[in-house]
Amino acid sequence: MKLPDKKGYFGQFGGKYVPETLSVCLNELTIAYQKYKKDSGFKKKLDFYLREYAGRPTALYFAERLSKHLGLKVYLKREDLLHTGAHKINNALGQALLAKFMGKPRVIAETGAGQHGVAVATVCSLLCLECDIYMGQADIQRQAMNVLRMKVLGARVIPVKSGSKTLKDACNEAFRDWVTNVRNTYYLLGSVVGPHPYPMMVRDFQAVIGREARAQILKKQAKLPDYLLACVGGGSNSLGLFYPFFNDRKVKFIGVEAAGFGLSGLHSATLVKGGVGVFQGSRSYVLQDKFGQIKNAHSIAPGLDYPGVGPEHSYYKASQRAQYLAVGDAQAYQGFKLLSQLEGIIPALESSHAVYYLNQLAKKHKGKTVIVCLSGRGDKDLDIIKHYEAERKI
Amino acid sequence: MRLKEKFNQLKKQGRKAFIAYVPFGFPEPKLTKPICLALAKGGVDIIELGIPFSDPLADGPIIQQATAKALAAGANLDNFFGTLKELSSSLTIPIVIMTYYNPVFKYGLERFLKRLKSHRVCATLIVDLPIEEAGQYLKSARGLGVDTVFFVTPTTDQKRMRKIINRSRGFIYYISVTGITGPKNIAYRSVARQVEFLKKISPLPVCVGFGIHSAEQVRAVNEFSDGAIVGSALVEFIDKNYRKKGFLNTLAAYTSKLCMK
Repeated sequence: MKLPDKKGYFGQFGGKYVPETLSVCLNELTIAYQKYKKDSGFKKKLDFYLREYAGRPTALYFAERLSKHLGLKVYLKREDLLHTGAHKINNALGQALLAKFMGKPRVIAETGAGQHGVAVATVCSLLCLECDIYMGQADIQRQAMNVLRMKVLGARVIPVKSGSKTLKDACNEAFRDWVTNVRNTYYLLGSVVGPHPYPMMVRDFQAVIGREARAQILKKQAKLPDYLLACVGGGSNSLGLFYPFFNDRKVKFIGVEAAGFGLSGLHSATLVKGGVGVFQGSRSYVLQDKFGQIKNAHSIAPGLDYPGVGPEHSYYKASQRAQYLAVGDAQAYQGFKLLSQLEGIIPALESSHAVYYLNQLAKKHKGKTVIVCLSGRGDKDLDIIKHYEAERKI
Repeated sequence: MRLKEKFNQLKKQGRKAFIAYVPFGFPEPKLTKPICLALAKGGVDIIELGIPFSDPLADGPIIQQATAKALAAGANLDNFFGTLKELSSSLTIPIVIMTYYNPVFKYGLERFLKRLKSHRVCATLIVDLPIEEAGQYLKSARGLGVDTVFFVTPTTDQKRMRKIINRSRGFIYYISVTGITGPKNIAYRSVARQVEFLKKISPLPVCVGFGIHSAEQVRAVNEFSDGAIVGSALVEFIDKNYRKKGFLNTLAAYTSKLCMK
């Protein structure tokens, strides 16, 4: 059966839990997406931009030194090599083109660390769309360089001062803008979260990662890998990798969440430690207190710092199609160093969570083949690394 | 009192409903009861009590800040139900509960509605539970005799309006602006047209909310609807005045000015 169903459900997860004004926007979007995803003009344009502009296909790189070090066969899916430095551009291009085809002149988006915001500002500049990015005040201070990048690209960055002043609040604010300006505005959501059709649509635009990886690995070693490994915040790079392998039952999926300061303190391990709830438009796992209030999340990786997760991941967890575990800040730092020093690839701190987990995997499963989604490059994180090392006198 | 009786009573008196929205626990949990009593004294016909939520998607800055303040002051479902119990014995006007879905989902939908019913709440509005997701909610609420109020907005088409009406009990909440709560200018003519259409296809009262913050707007909306809902203006007034002497009296006076009583 193809998921999600008509109402946007993956098993018991997903749906469209939004105020009435948004229901109308979402129905319009669902219809437009169903129409254009089959439209040859749309598909051609998207393929063109992905190839000529973003730099697809990305390499599936056999990391020889890392493999030898760990006793595994490790392939890296190099999304870090894409234009703007992360997988986010796959989705930004897809949805911005959709906005263009729908005739919406203005695009809005939320951003946490700024990676999605930069990707959206980039494609809006390319496609001549007006662009407003909502970003939490706390994130604006932490990510000055990305704020500047967005501004250089011609976007307006709107500070969000409500709630925890981070990603989830930026997301709330973008929804509020959309409710108010739906007639001329497209909301370009950055992950496989939110109400239907976003989880499905973002997954479809990110699935190019897994489609390429599957063909590449078959060409390189004539058999499927044993494991797919990726970090999970909202869950778009991991789902992009996993989804095209869904029916390859022998390929095991491992999603790595952020354990932050530790699972008893502040963290972002929504699937590992959260409970089922309804947050930002869908029923999924969420970090919440006993009264159903949403908790603040934490991770050293800004892109994982989110108290919700995509409903399709919740479905993968419930149906045991994927396994989810969590890796803390200090371990992610180790993963970051490991890949930088063994392979000359500085990974994003998000991806570093997945890289670190290879150590654990190697302990039990020597010799197995693993594809790791290297969702982004780590240049953006050097400030965080500098502070992290200074605080610990490393 | 059921909503139906209330609206019948108002009709006989030739009056329109004035519905006051306040978030529970704002500015602190122990003030909710005296605030509600002051609103009733000021002439409010129905109180719409909101359950504060950490991520209020449909609310503007005024109510966002108020709910954040309530949560910081320790508002939770335990003291909410405690206050509701006290109110049920001291208030004679109907209470309607407005909430986002997650606190209800976490508590258990059926259990939540039963608890409300036991405190004589007559209706619920769940902001982020549109008709597509409301199956179980409708079943439980009907079984318990709790009215289900739904929203209609300027972007809702006529086909969808009919679906919403079929699922509505008590009254229909017409949102006067495309957007979030908070003071706005209202396009009366188009709102009137929509409200008149709703009244043509449904016997339910239609009340108008979002953006209404002055006595003039209340009067204008009353021309074509069955009542007005005021939230942000009251919240703002409470925020500015609750530390001052005689606050509850000035709140009652402000309320009666708003609802022209």
